[in-house]
Parts: sequence; structure tokens; C-alpha cells
Amino acid sequence: MSEQFEPKIVAFVCTYCTYAGADLAGTSRLKYAPNVRLVRLPCTGRISPMFILKALQKGADGVLISGCHPGDCHFTHGNYHARRRWTVFRALLDFTGIPTDRVKYSWISAAEGVKFAELINTITEDIRALGPFTQYHGLIEETQSQASL
Amino acid sequence: MAKIGVFICHCGENIAGKVDTSRLAAALGDHPGVSVSVEYKYFCSDPGQESVKKAIRENHLTGVVVAACSPRMHEATFRKACAEAGLNPYLCEIANIREHCSWVHSDGDMATDKAIDITRSMVEKVKRNNMLQPIEVPVTRRAMVIGGGIAGIQAALDIASAGQEVVLVEREPSLGGHMAQLSETFPTLDCSQCIMTPRMVEAAQHPNIRLLTYAEVEHVDGYIGNFKVRVRMKSRFVHMDKCTGCGDCYLKCPVKKIPSEFDCGLGKRTAIYTPFAQSVPNNPVIDKTNCIYFKNGKCKLCQKACAADAIDFEMQDEFLELEVGAIVVATGFQVQNTAMYGEYGYGKYADVITGLQFERLASASGPTAGKILRPSDQKEPEHIVFIQCAGSRDPSKGVRYCSKICCMYTAKHAMLYAHKVQGGKTSIFYMDIRAGGKGYDEFTRRAIEEDEASYLRGRVSKVWEENGKLMVRGVDTLLGRPVEIAADMVVLATAMVAQPGAKEFAKTIGIGYDEYGFYNEAHLKLRPVESSTAGIFLAGTCQSPKDIPDSVAQASASASKVLALFSKDRLEREPVIASCNEATCAGCWGCVLACPYNAIEKKDILDRSGRVIKQVASVNPGLCQGCGTCVTFCRSNSIDLAGFTEKQIFAEVMGL
Amino acid sequence: MSIEVQYRNRAKELLSNGEVKLVVGYTGGTTPERRRPVFISSAEQVDRLVLDDLCIANLSGYLVTESLLSDEKSVAVFLRPEGIRSINILAAENQLNPDQIVIFGFEPAGNTIKALDGTNALEFSEFVVSLSENPSVSDSDPVIEKLEKMSAQERFSFWQDEFSKCIKCYACRQACPMCYCRRCIVDCNQPQWINTSPHTLGNFEWNIIRAFHLAGRCVECGNCDRACPVNIPLRLINRRMAVEARESFDHFAGLSMTQEPVLASFKKDDSETFIL
Repeated sequence: MSEQFEPKIVAFVCTYCTYAGADLAGTSRLKYAPNVRLVRLPCTGRISPMFILKALQKGADGVLISGCHPGDCHFTHGNYHARRRWTVFRALLDFTGIPTDRVKYSWISAAEGVKFAELINTITEDIRALGPFTQYHGLIEETQSQASL
Repeated sequence: MAKIGVFICHCGENIAGKVDTSRLAAALGDHPGVSVSVEYKYFCSDPGQESVKKAIRENHLTGVVVAACSPRMHEATFRKACAEAGLNPYLCEIANIREHCSWVHSDGDMATDKAIDITRSMVEKVKRNNMLQPIEVPVTRRAMVIGGGIAGIQAALDIASAGQEVVLVEREPSLGGHMAQLSETFPTLDCSQCIMTPRMVEAAQHPNIRLLTYAEVEHVDGYIGNFKVRVRMKSRFVHMDKCTGCGDCYLKCPVKKIPSEFDCGLGKRTAIYTPFAQSVPNNPVIDKTNCIYFKNGKCKLCQKACAADAIDFEMQDEFLELEVGAIVVATGFQVQNTAMYGEYGYGKYADVITGLQFERLASASGPTAGKILRPSDQKEPEHIVFIQCAGSRDPSKGVRYCSKICCMYTAKHAMLYAHKVQGGKTSIFYMDIRAGGKGYDEFTRRAIEEDEASYLRGRVSKVWEENGKLMVRGVDTLLGRPVEIAADMVVLATAMVAQPGAKEFAKTIGIGYDEYGFYNEAHLKLRPVESSTAGIFLAGTCQSPKDIPDSVAQASASASKVLALFSKDRLEREPVIASCNEATCAGCWGCVLACPYNAIEKKDILDRSGRVIKQVASVNPGLCQGCGTCVTFCRSNSIDLAGFTEKQIFAEVMGL
Repeated sequence: MSIEVQYRNRAKELLSNGEVKLVVGYTGGTTPERRRPVFISSAEQVDRLVLDDLCIANLSGYLVTESLLSDEKSVAVFLRPEGIRSINILAAENQLNPDQIVIFGFEPAGNTIKALDGTNALEFSEFVVSLSENPSVSDSDPVIEKLEKMSAQERFSFWQDEFSKCIKCYACRQACPMCYCRRCIVDCNQPQWINTSPHTLGNFEWNIIRAFHLAGRCVECGNCDRACPVNIPLRLINRRMAVEARESFDHFAGLSMTQEPVLASFKKDDSETFIL
């Protein structure tokens, strides 16, 4: 059997909860899959749907969006706004054929290092099972150019 | 052309033990725009920081990426080092290859690949970082304290005693709040008036405190360090500069049967009145709705009686515009109206009263001069039933939360009753006895063991009148049987709820509130006295139910936050804030609505003749906290967030 | 008297007594079954106005994008129910002053049309509420049903085919009353949001982001769909967004002039079944 597929996953996280949760996973020396790259933002409210598209444009096989639990947002409301956008954007991606399994959303607090590590393992396995996002990669190849900024 | 320095820290073995730092340094060294890519054992050490500084100077670096531990650890350290080497500190970013990489992955090769991605994406971000300057905001060194109960008074005195000016605003005619209404206070049973009134007088006489009673905050504008507050001075119809507080006016007032708010309806007052004998200030006010003159244009007996000529029926409300640098909100609570418990008979039977009414009965300055007498017939009750959680911890009828003080004051009531009425019997229905606090559990034990309060664990289902007695039917769940008690008085431990209009007031001053109307702290654990709005602090029961020690502690904490704010002329803030491109903004106001801090204002763009040609959003840098929610909303990408611009984030993603 | 004549007379009256400076309506198009917008500024010209069931374009967008209201004078405009909702949204988003607009409302009735009572957007409040209670979004669309039965992969291929046709002419944007931004994100190249060359990837991104920007704002007037020269079924994607706004947030776009934008507001108990 050939080497197993290593999916490329980009995560957009808020600095106050999920990023800190990932730090806690680190200080607790929890072990998890090395497939996810984190992009730190001040708040889930700052996570634009365009970021998800940029990650896919870069060739990501999966995307994770994560922030503070409802009620815990450092900026009080950012995650409530984010949740509405995600609801709409998720429906939109689904409708255009981008599988909902490839773009995941979660709440992870600064205390949930274990949840962070487990979630990373789960989504890595899920996306590994889905395989590379060849349909989207096809679109990228068609442009025959380095993704521009 | 970018000249980025990449500094890869081994963190001893913490990083280098897993990540192949040489491969990482080599990979980044080949990356476009990177001038320096070096590794070192501990970059956070003094020699490590020195080597970063040296590299910045020697290579004229335009940006720095330190691949090391979490930015939450050492971002500040390295940004400071950059600043010392003459590089704008916001041109430095941290690539987290320890917590997010070396510590959490088993496979060294894959960890190294990941470390390269993380570091490279940070290099791409840094290339697009802008030089930022900390925001400086001037500070008006004057605080406003809203609410003149014990919390407000404490905060005002603390700030004033530290030498700063305070404006203390109280909407009632006198300072004092709820604490002034109390009889004795747990757990020491010292008389509330004895400890409260000296503080009221001290606040009124303090040279740094400007006291505004019978005044309400109507509008708050501005931001931390620079608030503008409009206060309505309600007309007292008595000139405070002339009034001597002799009391001749209210002795002459013919309207004598108005239920006294201060005595919770158990006593009476006149139409021109001071709320209580020890009021501060002790100048009366005229209650317009009950005054005969205001009703039918005749009377003015008080005016005739006033030797100082202080009474003025033509007096109008006045408005003050005040500039303050910080605000302490100490607006307190109210007792929940227990009318929803029809089965307890509150409002139907005169001898079913609230805990606060019991306080007035037990108070030496109260309507019965401290004797426990039934409101219905002024007889001494022989048996009192107390019902705890009459509103609290009752999601179906009352409120879900615990009001925190009721267990303690009910035990206190039982004690006061035992001390005042020889042989009086006490039965207390309770759900749990919550007596956490210094000397609190000892206090409730004393009520049970020395003052023979009989505690029954269970709820009361019904109170009704029979042969001049109040029949109380409940259940003792510990014995597992129904209980029926013939009582002479029933006291309900009602819930503490938010002030009426608390939510509207929160909107007026621009702070958050919870589902109950209590004001939200910025962080329940770590920032419990700050509101979500910078420069506005919370004290006392407006935030959540509290007892006196907690209220006072929070008030002093708020005061210390205010004093810390006032310790400098100017505030420095992180420049991670949004700004709006006025040329492209379409003025749809989505950002205005989405902003949790009301930091986005509507700005008119005028032509030369002063005509409004368009309206655009404008971010107030004093109020913006940098969450970026507005940026994501903006369809035309007119708003961007410094430090996390679209350009930076796109580059970061593309660098992965 | 037919509605056409009735509205022509009213237009004549409003223009002659100066109550409005302009009437935005429909006139005959290049073929008998086509109608195109017409801007009438003098009473003598009102006979050019045509009104029948072929008048389907939503004319509300011209008011904003052509700055017809900037001199604070009033303008009359022919609007179908969707157009009235657009006016509500544009007013809620501070793009126009509804007091400047005189509405000539009409709605389809079988094969013909009938007039709607009222002239000011406020007078249509109850009517719009009745629309929200019986929304066309609940009508099933056979293509949507077909799409929803497909696998994600098949749906992707469907849209890939459609979007590969896109020539990035931005006619959809020009025709849309909601696309009033002074600078569209697609024109933003520092940083570049969306690949502007007409590759399917950039086309995909453009159409997704445009649909997202219309979420909770699209009234399904169909202007974009009709404007598209390569016949991409844009209405499908916008309808999906309208359904989402309605089902998830009980939001009916253009319900009132004070309606909060669905993506700039929230409820603490918004549903979140998909969040891990």
C-alpha cells in the first residue's frame, strides 16, 4: 500500500480561546496530528469567509474555524456574529458543492487543550478519509499560476 | 525590498529536540525577502535578545520573525527588543513552533515541515506589517460614581481620598441606598445606620467629592479618559443653599399619609419630606404628585413655615454637562415583587412581608422604633415563619440564580426576633443553607443552636388566614412529611433583582448586561470589576447579588482601577484598532450595528458649501477594542484592522 | 381604466405639478416581448410609459446607483413587490430617503397585473408583512430540489460547469439593486480578494462572495439572473441564501425600513447544530 495521504488543513482561530487552548495542549504535551496550520486572529468576529476561500485556493483539503464558546467571547459578541456568518456561509458552500465535512466549526475554550488535541485528530482522520480535494485542486491547476495575493 | 530576519529558538531541547532547526533555518534562509535566518539556544535570554538587536542594526532589517514559543509568552519581550534596536515593535511577529509544534507532535520530520510552514507564513505576514504607534488618549482626572449606596460611597471615598475629584450622583433625595434601610448587619450584628451614616456624612463633606443628589444620568458620550455625561438635576422645589434642614416644612405639611418608600410602605411620610431622619443631605424635596399645591394650586403651608425662604414652587429641572475620565456604576438592585406567588398571600395579608420590610420593623429608626409588631394589628407576633428562596432559584416563577444574601439575613432575622421577643418561635423553610463567608456559617449555627431557630428543609405550598392566624402549609423533606404551622407573621426572603430600567440605563451608558439586567463584567474571573466598555467600572449589586462586604470590596477594587487610570496624563493603548476608508465606505451602517463597543460613528462628509454629500463610518480609536467584527461585515472592505489587515491575513494563508 | 392609463395619468399629474422631478418606469423594448427602463422627466412624455405583465425588472437600483435622489427632490418609480422590499432594505441601509420616493406599485395577477394601493413605502408595510407570511421562497424550485439530491461532488461539477461560462462582465452586479458599493471587493487589488482573470476558480469565488454579500438582503427580483449573458442560474444560489436566512434566523429580506441586517445582528440563542 502506498504512503497514507496527509491532508493539509488550515485553521482560523481566535487568540483568546482556541489559540490559548492550543497553547494549553502544548504545555500539557498532548500529542496530535501535525496536519493543521493555525492562523491567529483577535476574534472569531474577524474571520472572514474570504479566508476560507483563500485557504482552499492555497490548496487546503480542509478548513477549521474555531473560537470561544457562546457567552465567553473576550469581545462579548464577536462569536455570535461569527456564528450567523458561518451558518449562512456553510449553507452556501454546501450548495455550491464544497462538502460540509471539509469545513468544520468548533468552540474551544482556553481550558480545552484536550478537546483541541482530540478535535485535530478527528478532523485530520475525517479529511484523510475524504482524500485530497481534487475537484478544487483542479480549479487551482487550471489557473496555471501561483495563487496571487 | 523586504529584509526579514528569522530567529529560530531551540528553547534548549524543547524545540530543537523535535524540530530539525538547521533544516528550518536553511529553508527560511532561501525564502524570498529573508536576509538573516539564524538559530540559537535561547533567544529570550539577554545574549539572545542582544543578538536579535545586533542583527537588526547590522542588516537594516525591515521585519523580524522569532520562531519560538507562543506569542502569549514572549511577543512583548521581542517587540521591546526590536524597539530598542530602532525597529518599530509592530514589525515583529512570533511563529509559535513550540506549543503548536514541537511539544505536540511525535514525528520529527513532519514537525519540521510544519515549523517551516508556520515560520514562512509569519514571514509573509511580517512583510505586510505596518509600523504602528501606540494610541495616546488624554485623561480627564475626574471620576463619576453613579449610585450613592454603600458601594458608590465607598468607591467615591476611595478615589477622593487618593486626591482625585469625584462626582457622586444619586437619584434619590438622600445618599444611603438599601444599606441605610437595614437594621443590624450580619455576621457581626452591628447597626447599619451606625456604620453607614458616618460614611454618608464623610462623602458629603469630602472636599474632592461633588455630591449631586436627586439627580439622574441622562446621557453618556465619549470614551475612556474622555466621557461627557449629561446629568439631570431634578427640581427639589427647595433651594439647597438656603435650606437649613430645620424640618419646619414637613411638620406643617397637611399630606401625611403617603406610604414611605424608605420604610417599604410600613411607615408614612409627608409630601415635602426627607426620606429618613439621617438623610444626607438633609434638605427636603417636594413630591410633586402628592403635593396639594401642585394638584390644585392652593396650600403652600410649607413655604409659609420656611423661615429661610428656601421653598420655590417654580423651580425647574436643570442639566449639567460634566467631563469625566472614568465612571463607576453602582446603581444597586431592587427587591423582587413577590406578587407572582399568589399562594404566599403577599399583598393580600398584611402580615406577610418581605425581608426588607422586616429590616424596617427591626430598625431602631423604623416605623415601630425597632419593635417587631404585626402591620395588621401592631401586636407582637408569637411565631414567625420565614420562607427562603421566595423568588430565587425558582426558574418557573422567580429567577434562576441564588440571591446570595437571603440565607444570611434570614438567620439574622431569626436572631433579632429571638433577642427582641422573649419566647418567640421561629420556623424557617429553606432549600439549602448557603453560608459561605468569613464568620457566616458560625452565624447561622448560632441562630440554630443559641437562638433556637427551627430550620425545615422544604418548600411552602400555601399560606392562608384562619382564626387570626396565618396558616403555613409546607413540607419537611428531611422527615418526609407535610407540616402545617399557625404563624403570626410570614417573612419572605425575596430575590434581589436588577433595578427597574437597568437595561435601558446600560444602553444609555454603553455597557453590557445579562439576561436578568445585571451588568456584565469584562471577564467573570479575571476582570470582574471592569465593564466591557473601557473606562467604565462596576461596583456592588448592579453586577450581581452581593452582600455588603463583597459590595465594598468591589467598590474599592473599582476605585483602584480608576486611580490606576488616573496615574498618568495620557493613556497608551495597543494600536490594534479598526479604521475606515472614507473614500470607499458606502455608509450602510452594518458595522455600526455589529460593533460591540459602539465605537463606530456616523460621519457626514460635506462639500465646500457645507452640504452633506455622503455619510461614512468613522471608528473612534478611543472606544475600538480591535475585535475586527466590523471588518468582516464590511462588503466593500472599507474597514480594516491594524495588525490583522486583510492583506496580512491573505499573505499569511498563502505563505502556508 | 387600465392600470397603465391610470399610472400614466398620475405620472402626468405629478410631473406637471412638480411633485416629482422624474418617473422611472418601463417602455417598449427591442422586441415585442421585451420591456426596458425609461426615465421620464416631462409630462408630455408620459405616453411612453408601458405597464403590463412583461414589466419584470426591479427598477429600485437606479435610484441609488444613478444618484437620482441626491438633489433631495422626489422621484416616482414603478415597483413590483420585490422592488418595494428593495426600497425597504435600501432605506434600512441608509442608501436613500424613502420620503423622496413615490411608488407606483403593481403585482402580477394571473396573466395580467393589478395595482397596489399606496404611494409611500410605509403604506406598504402590511402588504410586505403579508408577503413574508406567504413567501415565495417556500415555493419549491425543481432545479434546487434536483441539486439538493445530488452528492456534493455532483453539485460541485454542476456549478463548475456553470461558473466556467462566467466571463466576469459583472452584469449581475450592475443589475442588482443591492450592489451599491462605491468600490466592489472584486475591484480591490491591494490585497486582491478575488482572482479577476476569468478562470473558473476566480469565477467560483466571485459568485460565492457575491451570494454571501446578498444573504438576507436579496429579494429575488431576478435582475442578476436575467442580466447574465451566459445564463448562469444565479437565482438558485440567491434563493438558497434567502431560504437559509428565513429558516435559520426568521429573516425575510426587506420586511421594513428598520429591519436589522441579518449578518450585522444576532440572537444569543441562534441555532448552532453544526458547531463541534
